[in-house]
This record gives sequence, C-alpha cells and structure tokens, in this order.
Amino acid sequence: MNELRELLSSDFLPRFLAGMAVNFEIAAIALVIGLVLGLLLAAGRLSGGLVTAVTVSIISLMRAAPTFVVMFFLLNAIPRDATLFGSPFVLSGVMTVALSLVPYSAAYVADAGVDSIRHLRAGATHGAFLFLPNVTRAFFVMVMSSSAGAAIGVTEGITVILRQAEQLPSFDDRLVLFALGIVLFGIPLQAGFMLMSLFQRRFGRSTVEEEASA
Amino acid sequence: MIAVIPTAKPEGPLRPQERSLAPLGMTALLFRAVAVIALVVGLASFARAETPDAALAELLKQARTKVPAECTQPHIDRLIKILCAKKIRIGIRDYYPLFAERKGDKREGYEVDVALAIGRMLGVDVDFVRVNAANRIPLLAEDRIDLTIATMGHNTQRDGQARFIRPHYYRSETTVVGPRDLPVASMLDLPGRTVCVTVGNGSNAELVSQGARLMLFDEAGVLPDRLKDQTCTLAAQDDSFFAKYFTDEDFNARYFQKFGFAQVPWGMAVARQGSTELARALDLISQVFHRDGLFVDIGRLHNIRLGFLRQQQEVWRTPECNTDAGTANPKCILPPLNTALQPTSFAPDVNSFEQWVEDRTGIDLTLPMLKTMPAWSLFKDGVFYSLVLIAGALAATLAFALVLGWAMGSRTFLLRWPARLLTMALQSSPIVLTLVIAATIAHGLFALSTETVLGAAIAALGLTNGANAGQAIGEAMWSLRAEGAQGGLFGRALSRASTQIVAFLVNAAKGTPIASFIGAPELLSSLTDITSFSSGRITTYSILLIFYTSVVMVVVWLCGRLKHTLEHRQAAA
Repeated sequence: MNELRELLSSDFLPRFLAGMAVNFEIAAIALVIGLVLGLLLAAGRLSGGLVTAVTVSIISLMRAAPTFVVMFFLLNAIPRDATLFGSPFVLSGVMTVALSLVPYSAAYVADAGVDSIRHLRAGATHGAFLFLPNVTRAFFVMVMSSSAGAAIGVTEGITVILRQAEQLPSFDDRLVLFALGIVLFGIPLQAGFMLMSLFQRRFGRSTVEEEASA
Repeated sequence: MIAVIPTAKPEGPLRPQERSLAPLGMTALLFRAVAVIALVVGLASFARAETPDAALAELLKQARTKVPAECTQPHIDRLIKILCAKKIRIGIRDYYPLFAERKGDKREGYEVDVALAIGRMLGVDVDFVRVNAANRIPLLAEDRIDLTIATMGHNTQRDGQARFIRPHYYRSETTVVGPRDLPVASMLDLPGRTVCVTVGNGSNAELVSQGARLMLFDEAGVLPDRLKDQTCTLAAQDDSFFAKYFTDEDFNARYFQKFGFAQVPWGMAVARQGSTELARALDLISQVFHRDGLFVDIGRLHNIRLGFLRQQQEVWRTPECNTDAGTANPKCILPPLNTALQPTSFAPDVNSFEQWVEDRTGIDLTLPMLKTMPAWSLFKDGVFYSLVLIAGALAATLAFALVLGWAMGSRTFLLRWPARLLTMALQSSPIVLTLVIAATIAHGLFALSTETVLGAAIAALGLTNGANAGQAIGEAMWSLRAEGAQGGLFGRALSRASTQIVAFLVNAAKGTPIASFIGAPELLSSLTDITSFSSGRITTYSILLIFYTSVVMVVVWLCGRLKHTLEHRQAAA
C-alpha cells in the first residue's frame, strides 16, 4: 500500500488528467468528422432510390466495423511514405484512434440524423432537438472507446493507469489503482449521461406535448 | 613433396636387403641427399602454408603477378580487379551508432576501421559507398561494391544471396531492454507483457512463441524515445543498436538489458559470382584479425561489446583453428542463423495466385499467412479462437444480461442495489480497463494459459455488455409493473428490452478483437504476430477487417432473428 500512497502523492493525477484530456480530444475529433459524414449519409438515406440503397449498405458496413480492427488497419495499411496533395501524410496516434471511431460516429449520427430530419418534417421541433443529447451520448461512448489507443501507445487516461500499475508489485495495490481509474472515468461519464437524461426527459416531455398539440 | 619421406631412412648398418643397393654407390648417396633436401624443403614449405598469414601472402603474391597483365581481361576475379584499380569499394552504413557513422566527410565506427584495416592488408585504398539494409546485397550483385560491411546478420536465407566471409567479424543478439526496477529477467517473465519491436525483425517470432504481445514500429530509432515516454515498457532490438544508448549516463541509469536471445553472427559479404579469390583473401584476413586481437582492439576503441570478439580470439589462437584450413573447419567457424521457415504444401499455389492477381489487376497481393507453416498455424488458431471468443462473448452477454436484469428488476433491495452498483461500475470503466482487471484477477487465481486469457476476455466482454442489456431488462420489468402487468413479468420484459439486448449482443461481438490487448490469441493477435516476421501488412490487415466485419454482420443478422422472435412473443402476449 506504501507504493500506492507514494504513487498518489506523486504527479499521477496531473498525468492522468492530461491523459484523459487526450480521450476527450480523440472523441471530439471523431465526432466532428462523424457529424459531417453522418449528416451526408442521413441525407443520402432519405433521398430515395439507389442512393438510399447504397447509403444503407454503407451505414451497415460502418456499424459492423469493429473500432479496434479499424484502428490497426489504419495503422498498418497506410504506407509510411504516403502523400496527400503532395504533402507527407502520416497519421499520429491520436488521429489514428480518432479515425477508427469515425465509422461508429458517422453511422450513429446518420441514424440519429434520419430520426431528427423525420421529426423536423413532421413539425416536431423538440423531437428533432433530441439529436443533440443523442450525439452527446455518442461522444461519451467514444471518450470511453478511445482507451483503445492504449494498444498503440497513445498516452491517454487508461495508458497512464496501466503504466502506473506496472510499477506496483502488489496485486491488491493494482486493483485499488484500477478502481480509482473507474471512479475517475466514471465521474465525468455518469455526470454527462445524467445531464443528457435530464435534457432528454425535458425534450421528450416537450415533444410529447408538441405532438399532442399538433 | 611428402611422397619422398619413405625413402629417407635412419643412419646405421646396412640391412641385408639394403646391401643389395650398395653397388649403386654414389648414385644411391646422391639420391638420398636429394631426398633429404626435398624433405626439409617440403616440411618447411608445408609449415609455412599451414598458417593463414602464409596462405594470405601466397594468395596475394599470386594475384599480384597477374597485375597489370590481366587487368583488362573479362571475368577476372574481383581480387585482381581491386589490385588493378588499387582501391576496394566497400558498402557501409551512414548511420549505425558505434559501428558506422558519417559526420560530414568523416566516417567513424567499428566497421569503418575494420574496412580501413582490410584496405591496408590488401595494400589498396578504400572507397566507401553508402548502403542500407535493402541494397547492401543487390549492390554486390550489380558489381557496384566489392565488399559489404554493413551490420548484416548471416542467416541461411542470405547465404544464397551473397558469399559470407568467415570467421564473422561480430555477433549481435536481440536484447530486451526495460526500466531497471521492472522485474523481468528472462523469457519466462514475458507472457502477457507488451514488447515494442520493429517489423520484420527475425527474433519477433520467438517473442511471440513465448507469449509476449508485440507493438510494432517501422524504425528502430524510435524505440529509445518510446521507452522514455513510457509508450513501451519493454523494447527488443539488436544489442548493437542499444549499445550507443547505454553509453548515455541518463539512459543507463534508467534502463537495463534484461536478457538476450537469438544470437546472430554478422558477416562481411562479397558477391557469389567472380569473387572466389577475394573471399578467400578476406577469410584469411578475418582469421588473422581475430587471432591477433585486431578486432578486439578496434571494438574497444568504439565501445562495443567485446565478449564475442574475445571468445573468437581464443578460438583462432588454438592450433586446430590457426591454420590455412581453419575457415573451413566446422569446429572453428560459426554456422549461419537458421531463419528458414517451413513452407506450407500449398505455398507454390499461393504464389501462383498472387502472381495471377497482380497480372490481371496490378494489385500487389501478399498472403504470408498461407505460405509458411508457423504463419499458417497462427492464422488457423487465430480464426478458431476468434470464433470461440465471439460465441463466448455472446453467450456471456446473454447470461449476465439475464442474471443482472432479473436482479435489477427484483423488488428485493439486497439483489437490486448490488446489481445496480456493479452495472454503474462497469459502465464507468472503459473496456480496455475492464479487460485488464479481468486478466489481472484471472492471472492471480489461475496459471497463465490460453484458456485463462480467453475466459477473462469473455467474462469482461460479457459483463460490460450484459450489464447494459441487463439494465434495459430491469427497467422493462419496472415499467411493466408500473403498467400493472401481472405474471410472466420477466419474459415480457425480455421481449420489451429486445432492441437493447440485441444492440449489446452486437456490441459484444464487435468488441472481441480488443481482447488481443490482454493477449487473447484471436485473429488480430495472430495476424500482428505474422506480420512481425513477414511482409504483406496491407493485405493482412485488409483480410482482418473483412473477416471481423463479415462476422459482425452475421451476428447482426442472427440477432435480428432473435429480436424478431422476442418481439413476436411480446405481440402474442
């Protein structure tokens, strides 16, 4: 337990928080790219005909692609000497993880976007606004999923915890550290989900009222 | 010369049969004198030819007699060409700390000094030509260099591409480097740990076979930095590579060479064609350098590890090896590292298929997992364990969902709240952390094995997804109670929560590749291992992506059927 106390009195917390900021950064990048792609896919899905069929297939594929495998695919399939518009194109670890989350993000945004557009078309503005808490929920899911970066050496929150755990010889100390990691990750996550539930309930009520009055 | 020895007889009274020769008189005496002289001359020249120095001197003398007469002749040995040109072109690396470095116009390092010493022995100037790992052998075949001294390991595969000089001028081994206080002392401590390595390193297969997880990098140069920023806890690379870093006080204070393995002798090499005499001369030079301690002296000058060089000095000083035939004596020289991987019976068909695809589409398809037995075995195991893992994760998700859902939907506080707390904890833990916790507990309770790791992964994936699905079931039970539903509550709750149950089952299947993080030998792990000692990364990871996406789509379809059944039940109820 002494080692754990020493660990906690050292610079662990600042390093963990810096690592967690990377988790949020990855999720933010994935969400921004996912929003652009997902809304395009949503528009395609509602446009009808062949475009809808193609878009539905793309969304299904994106939904089925495992993030972890996509991450390793990006890491290994892009040649080290690749160029984009004449400039060297090398993905950083953070970008690799962020891009690996894009299929999930885009598919999720496309699904939520389709619902939202349908609400808008039906004149249910509040229902359409449920898009925001849904997307925020996806953001928090991606914050958690970005811990996959630990597998390719990205220094995010879980990586910091695992590196510290390797320095602890005691099995009990390691478990205590892991529990601490769950608490530290859980606080923003549960707070975020709680906030979104409140928001969703409020908009949900408004939507029901709106639909009833319509 | 030796044939005359039986005619030389000791002095003494003549025996009967010898007496018959007495009438020969002066002729016999003369004959005997000639025989003795021949014996002495013969023995003297035999003794001289036995030393590598004499053999080398003789070889160079013979070669020099052909200069300049044969300089313009085609197909002369490269040794003659070198003597004609009065210079030897030596391929050398530009940046390999302690061994060969270029700083402006100046080159320095162990290999540089060895090259210069060879030039002096041959009596010619040295022209250095920059080479790298990819072109150090092709440049020999193209006659753009005469000799390569470029940190090249001598293995059975390269033996067919170049003529290696024996004895070897150095020997490296793969060393595993990590923080001084990390309790790793041998291969036995590696299972479950991640080791950073470079793609294509021949020793990767051995690390994999010992249960280590590999993190791949393209360049060895990044490994020390990744150790420092703690991306890597352990890194494996040639000890010659790390040698420079251990001369740095700070690095040396923080890190330690935990253990070494996969020793590989380094060889100078010449072209296989037209270099017979040059190779022989270099064999003898290398032999003399070892015996006289020149390699040790040069090595000491450049702070490289001297253990191998000292050991070789002892070997080449022994009477058995210190002969002109020493370099052909298996007791004196080291064999090349055997890196040949046993091909599969269908490897030729795979090669033909790759060629067929390339000819018709221009796509450079490479299927390393089908070409060698170790890769094929890893691939088959990977597919099998992936399917086991997916089936296990689905079953565990469903089981935990039912148990936790039932507990969370219970009216009993003692059942409901522990289940809720567990669900909250699981929801707050990123899946990577949940997997690590499961693996840590499993390793604490059971001996490390494939089954243990798979069990831990299945439990972690099942708990994470089952808790979420269970929450949906619990909420469905409470909503049904609120609606005043009576009887068969649990079954109806399952039907009501079918969408969430199916969503988390699909999620569990999608999450299975992440089990490779704790060492589960599924397909991602297997293919990463295969690419660490073979080529074809793009094809390999494309196959991986197609495999998992297809499997998940099948799971989605199956879950769709399940959902349909559950909804049908609800409608019937």
